[in-house]
Amino acid sequence: MERITRREFLRCMAAGLGALTAGELLAACGRGATITPTHLPPPVLVPPAETEIAASSPEPSSTTPPEYPDLVVARGGEPRELVRQALERLGGIGRFVHNGDDVIVKPNICVAYNTYEYAATTNPWVVAALVELCWEAGAGRVRVMDNPFGGTAEEAYARSGIQDQVVAAGGEMEVMAGYKFVMTDVPQGLDLGQCAVYGDVLSADVVIDVPIAKHHSLARLTLGMKNLMGVIARREMIHANLGQRIADLTSLIHPALTVVDAVRILMAGGPTGGNLADVRQLDTVIASADIVAADSYATTLFGLLPDDLDYIRAGAAMGLGRSDLANLKIEEIALGA
Amino acid sequence: MRLSALDARDSRRLRRRARRWTTIRKLVQYATLLVFIGLFVASRGSRWPAEVVNLPMRLDPLAMLAQLLASRTFLAGSTLALLTLGLTLVFGRAWCGWLCPLGTVLDLFSFRRERGQHQPPPESTRAVKHGLLLAILSAALFANLSLMVLDPLTLVYRTLATSVWPALDRLVIAAETALYRIPILHPLLSGFDRLVRPSVLPTAPVFYRGALVYAGVFLAVVALNLWAERFWCRYLCPLGGFLGLLSKVALLRREVGGRCTECGLCAGSCPAGTIDEAKGYASDPAECTMCLECLETCARGDVRFPLHLGAADWSHYDPSRRQALTVLAATAGGIALLGSDLVARRNGAHLIRPPGTLDERLLSQCIRCGECIHVCPTAALQPALTEAGLEGLWTPMLLPRLGYCDYACNACGQVCPVQAIPPLSLEEKRRQVIGRAHIDRNRCIPWADYGSCIVCEEMCPLPEKAISLDTYEGPNALGDPVSVQRPQVIAERCIGCGICEYKCPAAGEAAIRVYAPAAGPLF
Repeated sequence: MERITRREFLRCMAAGLGALTAGELLAACGRGATITPTHLPPPVLVPPAETEIAASSPEPSSTTPPEYPDLVVARGGEPRELVRQALERLGGIGRFVHNGDDVIVKPNICVAYNTYEYAATTNPWVVAALVELCWEAGAGRVRVMDNPFGGTAEEAYARSGIQDQVVAAGGEMEVMAGYKFVMTDVPQGLDLGQCAVYGDVLSADVVIDVPIAKHHSLARLTLGMKNLMGVIARREMIHANLGQRIADLTSLIHPALTVVDAVRILMAGGPTGGNLADVRQLDTVIASADIVAADSYATTLFGLLPDDLDYIRAGAAMGLGRSDLANLKIEEIALGA
Repeated sequence: MRLSALDARDSRRLRRRARRWTTIRKLVQYATLLVFIGLFVASRGSRWPAEVVNLPMRLDPLAMLAQLLASRTFLAGSTLALLTLGLTLVFGRAWCGWLCPLGTVLDLFSFRRERGQHQPPPESTRAVKHGLLLAILSAALFANLSLMVLDPLTLVYRTLATSVWPALDRLVIAAETALYRIPILHPLLSGFDRLVRPSVLPTAPVFYRGALVYAGVFLAVVALNLWAERFWCRYLCPLGGFLGLLSKVALLRREVGGRCTECGLCAGSCPAGTIDEAKGYASDPAECTMCLECLETCARGDVRFPLHLGAADWSHYDPSRRQALTVLAATAGGIALLGSDLVARRNGAHLIRPPGTLDERLLSQCIRCGECIHVCPTAALQPALTEAGLEGLWTPMLLPRLGYCDYACNACGQVCPVQAIPPLSLEEKRRQVIGRAHIDRNRCIPWADYGSCIVCEEMCPLPEKAISLDTYEGPNALGDPVSVQRPQVIAERCIGCGICEYKCPAAGEAAIRVYAPAAGPLF
């Protein structure tokens, strides 16, 4: 038998290692990556695991500078004006969006079944106003996206009217592609340990949550915290222990700004809607840097209290925000006409 | 016999001219294949009007004729097939040689080198395609279209829809998922993804049952080229048989002139293998696909396509009256047998049909092309494999666990080339009841485990939801007090769209399942 030369031996080694690497790469195709989120706040002391909260919420991780209100409620105007005025009173968009930021605006485009008047999806002009403001603040990129559960994304983006308005405002509608959902740890999660989250949302500089206030049978209301469900892949598993898991998800995503669209609200038949009789026109927009506070205020529009919603209680208990409306600095503005 | 110098120059000039024709033919073949694939890709998402997208299917005279015979309804849209018939009456089987997408694929994979000098099957085998043609038409007379699975256009479309396209998507997804780990590639990936979705590939992965079988059948058809060139076209294609018989009276037919030196080059180059040495290198117009290869190979430029009036000779493999009657009788017998088999009704419980169709009507109108299956945005429509028996093979049915009937969509009815699924407006379609949901209380999380889950109610798209919730307050299995919401189906409202079954988080089989609407007695 001939002796193997050094060159042949090295060539064999290289081929073998190459094959192993290729195999690993191919296997990785099926798995996808785990992304560590880039903008998690520093760890907060987690209170005990009951969802019942104490008389007053603990201090949230990010305190609002004293010159700004905790929450602004704008009433009685066109959607675009409501958003602009509310943001101005909140301290201006520059408080949240800086030059060159990669911004993701997350409205509620959960179904493709009806147009915006049915109040199942966020008002297109509210979304477009935020896109405009982001550009004015010098954002590098402004994308609008949601992962509908009823109908395809293309159908939903079109029928909700959001695509037209966002494109007119210079924003990008992005269809959330399957390959970008990555299994992510939820470090602050009390019940949710891991979750498949849209990678771009975790790596974005700014996430703006723009829910529409509407009825939901299990959660009672879909507001800002529940709206974040649109960024995860397997939604069904969140329904067991919905309240705590939504709070856990909020701790991961932590949007910088929450703007609750209450131009029209859905009183019954949510989250899909379809009955104009269930829609009430309120011409109201709520804006806050505190997602729990925004949601808490929104419950009052339905004649409920913040404590009536499991996920608000859980979120407040985790220190994600404040639900004690009486102690918050709330500015209410009426836009005339 | 050697060519003289003058002959040689003439020959080169003639061959150059002939090569122009074969080049034009190839360009037309590739262009038509691209258009076919382009229309396939454009059909999803309603980006192009349905009448444009289902054009290739409506050009197919076999499909249109079979549907006309079986359903006894005349559709204005199917008159497009008259164009193909007209083309055949002038140019013979030019469809096969110039336009047919399956023909072009078979030419691309002609396996000439691998086939070598392999002997093709005997000429009498050509009768098989006539037999299949007669079987299709006879069955259609008895309102049965099951054999339409043998049509070449439906074959290609089904294979593209259920095997090729999803597989291509899977490859692209695998590449994208792997490359997503590298952050600097993100803008490039997003750009690429936006480019191909939804214009070429689906936005959510699609799965089709029987994809392997379909790919297998298609590969088998292509692999038959190893036995003889264009094996399918020569011996099996019923559409080819149909157009071939018409070509007997076509205006333009191939003829060999008086200067033939019997070199045999034309016979060697003929893909249809129809140039017969024994007949002085004449060809059967019913087999000739007008590919013009013989025009190019003939050194003497002696091949011509002059006008003919009057019918061509009948070959021994062409159908005789006795054969036609035998096939008719056999088909009738086969259909009677099919009807006696209870398979079609045995699994009917979950046989959910697209909105607006009735099972009996669908079986006699559907041409098994798969356009509806492809266009369905949620991949809810799947080919029936055994659920509707052999009779219903490859007709569309809804499998809610794989996809729900999208409340915002009415694409299937719009695209169906024979209106087997009627074109309904969105409002009309939303009113169609295609099934009824039933909750299995032994497995439903709130009912069986006292757990919290009302996903079915949440997802129900109806403005007046077909699922209501009651609240149970009492002990759970361990005796601890619980308060859970439990879903109940309101039968009168349920339209059977299946989104509840699709989204149900129960493991494996859903705890809420859609059943076919209550039918009449079994017979």
